Amino acid sequence: MCGAFDWKISSFFREGDLEMAEKKEHESKGEAVQPRIGVYVCQCGLNIAGSVDCEEVAKFASTLPDVVLAQYNRYTCSDQGQAGIKNDIKEHKLNRVVVASCSPRLHEPTFRKACEEAGLNKYLFEMANIREQCSWVHLYDRASATEKAKDLVKMAVAKARLLKPAVEIEVPITRKALVIGGGVAGIQAALDLADTGYKVFLVEKEPSIGGMMARIDKTFPTMDCSICILAPKMSDVGHHPNIELLANSEVTEVRGYIGNFHVKVNKKPRYVTKDCSACGECAKVCSIVVPNEFDVGLAIRHAIYTPFAQAVPATYLIDMNSCLNKNGVIVCDKCMKACERKAIQYEMQPETVELEVGTIIVATGADVFDPSTLPNYGYGKYPNVITSLEFERLINAGGPSGGRLLRPSDGEIPKRVAFIQCVGSRSDRNGRLYCSNVCCMNTIKDSLLIKEHWPETEIYVFYIDIRAYGKGFEDLYKRARKEGVVFIRGLPSEIKENRKTRDLWLAGENTLCQELYRMNFDLVVLSVGLESRKDSEVIQRLLTLSRNQDGFFLEAHPKLRPVDAATGGVFFAGCAEAPKDIKDSVTQASAAAARAGILMAKGKITVEAITPIVFPDKCKACGLCTKVCPYNAITLNKDLKRIEIAEAACGGCGTCAAECPFGALTQGHFTDDQIVSEIDAVTEHDADKKVVAFCCNWCSYAGADFAGVSRMQYPPNVRIIRTMCSGRVAPKFVERAFARGVAAVLVAGCHLGDCHYINANYQTQKRVERLWKKMEQSGLCKERLQLFWASAAEGERFASKIREMKTLVESVKPEEIEKAKKVFEKALGGA
Amino acid sequence: MAHGKTAKSSGKTFLEEVRHMLGGETLASCYQCGTCASSCPVARVSERFNPREVIRQSLLGEKEEILFGDALWLCCSCYNCQERCPQKVEIADVFYALRNLAIREGKMPNIYSEFSAGLMSEGKIVPMSKFLEKKRADYGLPPLKPANMDTLRKILSATGFDKLKKKEEPQ
Repeated sequence: MCGAFDWKISSFFREGDLEMAEKKEHESKGEAVQPRIGVYVCQCGLNIAGSVDCEEVAKFASTLPDVVLAQYNRYTCSDQGQAGIKNDIKEHKLNRVVVASCSPRLHEPTFRKACEEAGLNKYLFEMANIREQCSWVHLYDRASATEKAKDLVKMAVAKARLLKPAVEIEVPITRKALVIGGGVAGIQAALDLADTGYKVFLVEKEPSIGGMMARIDKTFPTMDCSICILAPKMSDVGHHPNIELLANSEVTEVRGYIGNFHVKVNKKPRYVTKDCSACGECAKVCSIVVPNEFDVGLAIRHAIYTPFAQAVPATYLIDMNSCLNKNGVIVCDKCMKACERKAIQYEMQPETVELEVGTIIVATGADVFDPSTLPNYGYGKYPNVITSLEFERLINAGGPSGGRLLRPSDGEIPKRVAFIQCVGSRSDRNGRLYCSNVCCMNTIKDSLLIKEHWPETEIYVFYIDIRAYGKGFEDLYKRARKEGVVFIRGLPSEIKENRKTRDLWLAGENTLCQELYRMNFDLVVLSVGLESRKDSEVIQRLLTLSRNQDGFFLEAHPKLRPVDAATGGVFFAGCAEAPKDIKDSVTQASAAAARAGILMAKGKITVEAITPIVFPDKCKACGLCTKVCPYNAITLNKDLKRIEIAEAACGGCGTCAAECPFGALTQGHFTDDQIVSEIDAVTEHDADKKVVAFCCNWCSYAGADFAGVSRMQYPPNVRIIRTMCSGRVAPKFVERAFARGVAAVLVAGCHLGDCHYINANYQTQKRVERLWKKMEQSGLCKERLQLFWASAAEGERFASKIREMKTLVESVKPEEIEKAKKVFEKALGGA
Repeated sequence: MAHGKTAKSSGKTFLEEVRHMLGGETLASCYQCGTCASSCPVARVSERFNPREVIRQSLLGEKEEILFGDALWLCCSCYNCQERCPQKVEIADVFYALRNLAIREGKMPNIYSEFSAGLMSEGKIVPMSKFLEKKRADYGLPPLKPANMDTLRKILSATGFDKLKKKEEPQ
């Protein structure tokens, strides 16, 4: 998140003190402070052992300097495995632990905790990722995978030798939550948190909460009336003492970090004050008529209106885009005259509301697919082709037709109705690749609704697969079949209209009988899919979230942290994360509320000790670091000629350390000498065949993990060094890698604009461009240094990049390697 | 099913074989929705051809049925199916891949043999006739020049086309 705060300058990181304490402790026992490293190579069942010889890797590890113990075991993360580590820490006096297993993004917290429980500072633990980034991506090359695993362990051990203990500072958490989006998910999350006792701000873009569920007639599989079960909840939100509802409002700015977000909300004017009693006299006199958005344009509303009967807040509002009074010029005051309570104010202005919250729940929902992009179905051209959402409004007793399903062309009740499934879903060509989850059951429910009112209606459902996977779903499907709904497997390829009668011809194939059909219908309902909100980019930017290839927000872990965002303190509920039905949305909303509640109940949170470390004697007070810090957490004290760091404001990207030309700054747990030791470990052997890849924790490293999880295969000659941000990658790291004879270097980060540290990756770009220039001037092939942006969801892109780089590596000639060694030989000096 | 076992054992290799051919790469994305069959002008008039069925047989590895049946040769290459396939299966191109495979296996319909013979001897798929020459004159088109057979033969030999023909000759 963004921005500068007026933080009190907190004390420097007391690393030196701790080190002293550690030294003293050892000295008092009469020992020298020599690293004693324990290495544990995990087989992870066959996940790792299937393509890596773990015994050989452990044997190799035991030959590395300062390693006093190396073993391999089946599941290091099991209770047994952890107990073993704890025991060894005590028995073998280990003061560093290296586990070679899965991604640190998965189990680093587990092992850190185990170390802490055995009395070892958790920052003395290091992980080698030999599963997601080794065994799973080199499934068929055991020899190379084993070699790579050895290298990865060597790197981890090299870093572990230089690890230092650290203490984390604590920051308080604001015990208030922000819920963005007032659909059923947002409503549920807000109510749960408010009932727990936290203050909740619920921000809704539309004039009323209720979202998509308020528009639906009945819900599947129970056939409950949708608004009847939603309206009481909406009203609870309106009356809850702990909920402040900001309808007709949008979040415009989010700054801060987990526990301490500063949010700005633009509250658009309603032009009607809270005194409104929703009597509706104003709308009666309004002469302006426009399509009603709530009824997807099937009905009309006035310029002063309430979106629907059960709207919360119930207050009317004026749509100034259609009202005659514009820019303060009043030409019509009919509504004002009609209002007995004098609640109308034409001159109302938008206001900016500033909120301080500790947690944020994103419940922004989804859009429906627009089928007018499919010319063969004629939506928009043929009046009797409608979408499932339009169907809901037509069949709804509160809708424009009073619940009568009327054919748009002539207002007749249709006798033959067709539903076409997967419109905009499961398509690589038109619409989206994924299954939208709700359309099958929605159609089955809709078919039963027609049968309920007009049992004689002939209903055909054209589908590819019917997905009735949930509780009670199969029952409903069976009921529809029993009621005589005909299911035909095979989508129509086109719809043709009879111009006179406006009836529709569907041409397709019944794939189960291998028969072509051509059938006539009165009404065709396109069962449209769900897609991510067109404006989800706004929320994505504001909260530095990631989205998957389908456009939905990406969770921190698909199985174990399904409602957490990668950004701390942010959670997902409802269709913002993926298409889901009402039950799943509500379940996820309660889960998100619980997750946010856990954070807020604690009242404080520790900040990872990865903040900068200053060496005052080297600092020349040039102030370069203060300019690149995305959080303005560094200030230059001109009088004392030194810099001061506000640790609580620091995000931990390390771009300041990469910027410092004097080596006066480094990043805790990612120090210069630690990273250099990793580079040196990689380049000890066969450097000319390898690629050193610097990957940022949030996007590119996660993308590499994703490639592993998806078992995308790529060449085994890449060695990934993890930094929190690509902004940490100092030019001297790249230079050192080349000076040690590496064939190619990859610097990978989040896409520009998606950086988890606001804009730190722009510094990465600048630094790489400078290096390219230098390489060109020295007659080196600049292709050997690659800059690459990949999101956490772009596993395949990552894998193909590595494949591409293999070709590059093969083309690099020995003399070019030697030349680069010479050009950058200065970088070989002490780190 | 009698051919069940063979389909299973030879199936995978056949599917792999097709997928590794030019045009065959997208075959496995098919989920049998039937959009192709319902878009196909040939399927509309003939029960002997159903593109979805040919794709399904390919996926199941029913090599004999496909390569020695006549469905494969009935595709008119209008590309309607390919334009509409929601999974971007390049259906018409898959048929080309399958046809190439069939020809490699020695199955070439007579009409294609005639085409290739024409190409080898005169450099033309459709032989020139008095009738066609007159038509050209009626339309005011100049008479066709004979093809440069030396160059053409070189091309046909370099691409292995002439060998395909030879393989077919014993039949």
